[in-house]
Amino acid sequence: MPRTTTVECPGCPPFRALTFDALGLIKVIEARGKEGGVPKVVERWGDPDASKCVLAASIDDRKTDPLLAVARKSGMVEVLNPLNGELSVTVSNVNSGSARPEDDAIVGLHLFRRQRLELTSRSCTLLTCTTKGNASIRSVEMTDSPADSGASRTWSVCASGNISCSLVDGSESYAIFGGKGVEVNMWDLDKCTKIWTGKPPPKNSLGIFTPTWFTSATFLSKDDHRKVVAGTNSHQVRLYDVSAQRRPVISFDFRETSIKAVTEDLDGHTIYIGNGSGELASVDIRTGKLLGCFLGKCSGSIRSIDRHPELPVIASCGLDSYLRIWDIGTRQLLSSVFLKQHLTKVVFDTNFTEEVKHSAADSALHEAQSIGEVQSADETEKLPTKRKKSSKEDRGSRKKASKDKDGSKKLKSKKRSKILENEFADDA
Amino acid sequence: MGGKRKKGESEGMEGDNDSKNNNKKMKQKSEILPSSVKNKEKRSAVHAKLKHQKKVEKRKKLKARDAAEKRALELGEEPAPKQIPRTIENAREADETVCMPDDEELFAGNDADEFSSILKRDRTPKILITTCRFNSTRGPSFISELLSVIPNAHYNKRGTYDLKKIVEYANNKEFTSIIVVHTNRREPDALLIIGLPDGPTAHFKLSSLVLRKDIKNHGNPTSHMPELVLNNFTTRLGHRIGRLIQSLFPQDPNFRGRRVVTFHNQRDFIFFRHHRYVFETKESKQSDSKGKKAKDAKGESIAKEKVVARLQECGPRFTLKLVSLQHGTFDTKGGEYEWVHKPEMDTSRRRFFL
Repeated sequence: MPRTTTVECPGCPPFRALTFDALGLIKVIEARGKEGGVPKVVERWGDPDASKCVLAASIDDRKTDPLLAVARKSGMVEVLNPLNGELSVTVSNVNSGSARPEDDAIVGLHLFRRQRLELTSRSCTLLTCTTKGNASIRSVEMTDSPADSGASRTWSVCASGNISCSLVDGSESYAIFGGKGVEVNMWDLDKCTKIWTGKPPPKNSLGIFTPTWFTSATFLSKDDHRKVVAGTNSHQVRLYDVSAQRRPVISFDFRETSIKAVTEDLDGHTIYIGNGSGELASVDIRTGKLLGCFLGKCSGSIRSIDRHPELPVIASCGLDSYLRIWDIGTRQLLSSVFLKQHLTKVVFDTNFTEEVKHSAADSALHEAQSIGEVQSADETEKLPTKRKKSSKEDRGSRKKASKDKDGSKKLKSKKRSKILENEFADDA
Repeated sequence: MGGKRKKGESEGMEGDNDSKNNNKKMKQKSEILPSSVKNKEKRSAVHAKLKHQKKVEKRKKLKARDAAEKRALELGEEPAPKQIPRTIENAREADETVCMPDDEELFAGNDADEFSSILKRDRTPKILITTCRFNSTRGPSFISELLSVIPNAHYNKRGTYDLKKIVEYANNKEFTSIIVVHTNRREPDALLIIGLPDGPTAHFKLSSLVLRKDIKNHGNPTSHMPELVLNNFTTRLGHRIGRLIQSLFPQDPNFRGRRVVTFHNQRDFIFFRHHRYVFETKESKQSDSKGKKAKDAKGESIAKEKVVARLQECGPRFTLKLVSLQHGTFDTKGGEYEWVHKPEMDTSRRRFFL
């Protein structure tokens, strides 16, 4: 008998997530407040345009100068600033003489983390992979004239078949690709060679052979590139160990529709899988045992799951146009936000915190707020820190107003607000 | 017996001041709760008495209300405002997915979805109707009626083709939708509407089918383009289903025939009706019961003359309920669902999805 009483969704911890949808819009959802915060859409970037449907996204969220790369259906890859949505550079992925972007859509995208040394040069490196198997690494200068500069390597990942999933591991030197008719294969990115290919499991007792079709894959932990978990179109999840054998080590079935999203947990042995009918579950991959399902009225296929690096929450988004935040331990739905379009991907912005106390004096100069926050008259509003952005004058004046509200609460923040006011007075 | 004993006890126990109040309360309590009486005859008597009391009270209230209204009308004052009965539709849970009229994302989404080319009249709808592999009794007559309702529809026998192959075939022949009527136990019980070329697949459960020959005083439909009425598809999901149904029919604002097809959504059930209508002026003071049925223009009441639309039902009558909406063409195992009904969603009787 289904539960007929309503259970109040407990509020979710403060977070900031970006979602990408089928009309090319990027929406920023934030939840504020210590307990019981209700997430709200604070910003929306882009105009609704179906040709700009977002196919893949990757975030490089460093504390300073974070970047967000977005691959669209029209074949363009855009690099944006995740704090304010400003377009830094646009790169076209269309090679001359190759198929049109609609036929050869981008399937996977990864933005490499930049080292400190490259900060001055302001360039970023992207790995893109298309359905026909053309993978390329290119580094892009982020100057006003978007030009493809520096090293650009292109190679073909598969001879035949379509790629549907591609991922880069934590150390950013290995990448896996898999798809329809394409077994999972791992490439060494520095040398551009294929170091490992999976093999399908042996035929089952009835002699039935299911064609290979991998719909999602992930590395099991950030440090170890050798264990790979892949989900197939025939509702099977397989664990491969590169150092052990080519056939899957463990494989188990999950419900009845294709596994559309797989994400690993930070502890290295739990994974979260989402399938085509909206079922989300956590599995212990060491034994292949299902730990539990996340029940919460998700009625559409889950396209993307993301795990917050610090808080024990995961976000899932999908075709039912909802972004749902779940608690990992209790597997309970914390909150859900309706976002009106088919969502294709969600990423957490990890540098969003609300501690005013922790901010150091030097970052006070670079403190910035998002626009939505200023307009809301929330009492528990606090400033996000650890963001370095040049503050503009009008922002400064608005900041003063909200800072006054904040300053009335704590003594420390009062002092700091006074410091800030003085600083802005100097600036202005 | 139990009741009597309780009364006796209470009278003995209470003090002077409280005794009367408590007595009353205890009396009322033992009267109101028939479940405290162990004897079945006594219990049913108590229950019947209770019900009778309630009925009498209700009638008294109604009479008082009517008398008050009559008096107010006679005196020329405004009568008290009529009370609105509470229905489940009135008490529907607030749904955040309801389409708002000023939502630009909705319009952009509409432009970008699979039906926009048909609804903008770039393509004319061409429907392929087929059945499941075994078809008998009411199935063929239902299909022939569907052929008369939906213009530009073609029927092909199923044979033993795979549904995925049928989708390919229809794409080659430039159909815009496929309707599959699924029969179970010699009764059509499910309808599958597949949009083409790669449009969504909607799976409906079909019930309460009444064929044309079983309707009294039915009419025969003409071959004009029907007018389409879609009622009450408020949420985003409902809007999408509404557009799916709309894409089955040709869009022509200058319709000439007086034929109307109605899909009315109420509590997640979609009621299909097919009528022929005619406008007539009728001399009457009060609105006719027939006039209420008219879903299109109702005439204004000018003193004595009134323009009423008379309806004559023709064609089949059935109800649909959405089971699942899948994103691509028919592929239950490998496909992804936009909406699938799960029993864990039915947590409230006042929550509807369409």
